[in-house]
Amino acid sequence: MEMFLYGFMQRAFQASILISLIAPILGLFLILRRQSLMADTLSHISLAGVALGLLMGVNPTWTNILVVAVIAILLEFLRQMYRTYSEISVAILMSAGMALALVLMGLNDGGATLSMTQFLFGSIVTISEQQIWMLIALTAIIGVLYFIFRKPMYILTFDEETAFTAGLPIKMMSILFNVLTGVTIAIIMPIVGALLVSAIIILPAAISLRLSKSFMGVIFLGMVIALAGMLSGLVASYELGTPPGASITLILMIIFAAATLLKFLWRQVRLGRLKRT
Amino acid sequence: MHYIEVENLAFHYKEEPVLENISFVVGPKDFVMLTGENGAAKTTLLRNILGLLKPSKGRVQLSKKNQYGEKLVVGYVSQQIASFNAGFPSTVLELVQSGRYQRGKWFKRLDQADKEHVRRSLESVGMWDMRHKKIGELSGGQKQRISIARVFATDPDLFILDEPTTGMDVHSREEFYQLLRHNCLEHGKGILMVTHDHEEIRHYANKHIELVRKEGSPWRCFSMDSCKELSKLPS
Repeated sequence: MEMFLYGFMQRAFQASILISLIAPILGLFLILRRQSLMADTLSHISLAGVALGLLMGVNPTWTNILVVAVIAILLEFLRQMYRTYSEISVAILMSAGMALALVLMGLNDGGATLSMTQFLFGSIVTISEQQIWMLIALTAIIGVLYFIFRKPMYILTFDEETAFTAGLPIKMMSILFNVLTGVTIAIIMPIVGALLVSAIIILPAAISLRLSKSFMGVIFLGMVIALAGMLSGLVASYELGTPPGASITLILMIIFAAATLLKFLWRQVRLGRLKRT
Repeated sequence: MHYIEVENLAFHYKEEPVLENISFVVGPKDFVMLTGENGAAKTTLLRNILGLLKPSKGRVQLSKKNQYGEKLVVGYVSQQIASFNAGFPSTVLELVQSGRYQRGKWFKRLDQADKEHVRRSLESVGMWDMRHKKIGELSGGQKQRISIARVFATDPDLFILDEPTTGMDVHSREEFYQLLRHNCLEHGKGILMVTHDHEEIRHYANKHIELVRKEGSPWRCFSMDSCKELSKLPS
């Protein structure tokens, strides 16, 4: 319990709860839009955003948000351009982001290496009050937008052509969704690390997708799974001295394996019952 | 008034002409069947009308208003519905309810009348008992039925249907055509339907457009044979 006495741990728990509320919403839409890897691309790009901020001597969070938002828009245009092979856009921009980050770090003459390591692997010690306020604002924005636009987004993710014929502005919605995902990644990346931020966004939704039948059910169950994974991962990280992003991801992977196994066993039991009747 | 106006439409895939000289109109109370051999670009024509593709030449006009001066609501059932996102986390009821969103319910709760409409739509295709099933667990024919239920739940002014009866038995098809005819005659809906069952439907439709291969063209290009008025059975 002593961990709760530390201010940085209190902030880490606050951040975890907030991330748990938004990750399954974004994660589910990313999975259903076949954009799971987009989160990974944007996290690589966000490294370039951080490197740019450190090079310019300004707060890297702001440069990060700006760079990621611009690239998120570009991603949508590339996705439209390569409609049949939309993963090409992910491959192109992931490499470009990493290359740009490395070049910018090189230009910084190695001065930012320590900070970059924090951004790569995440750090719960460095969570600031400002980051918590940003996360609160982000959670509020995503929550309100989800509540207002959940029906149009449901149709958009079900089938873009159906959404188009229903008169929805699908291009604008896609761009806004990408930008929102980008900004989220830019804000939570310093906490969980660029290398694993996409796992934390995708995994809770991926797990609950296997367990719940309904759309709303997937999101709410995803929040519960994210909360369980984030909070227990954080405790493990504190107790074992391991990186928070990696600890959380591993616990989510264990939940994923357990859920898959339980579902398989449940199906076998049901099949057995059906055979007997 | 017309819901769809197509005038001298031509569509080319890159340089290759696929459709040429297509002109017809669909208005309220029109039940138009669109036929043609496999690969006759019937779906391409529908996609041009819906705005999913841009015509290379000519004009396609989809009316903004319905016959009562309100916003025109279009219900579309695509041909590939049987292969739709099998992993999509939705129950049958959720998906069919989403058809009501177009009826001014994007940002409002569905009321009792909406729910009643959804129930009737699901019952009309015999899927009410399966409303709590996950859509990924349905067979191809059942998926087809719920996509039809969804479009009925929308209660559109204009139905655009691309081979909607694939995988349905004769009895279900007949019930479906009767429902469409009822919507057309009693509620003034416009219907444009791609089909291969033209012998079956000719008793329900009032216009028949056939896409035929253009003679003398080096390309596999199709144009309209004619837009025939059909004699309709009494409703």
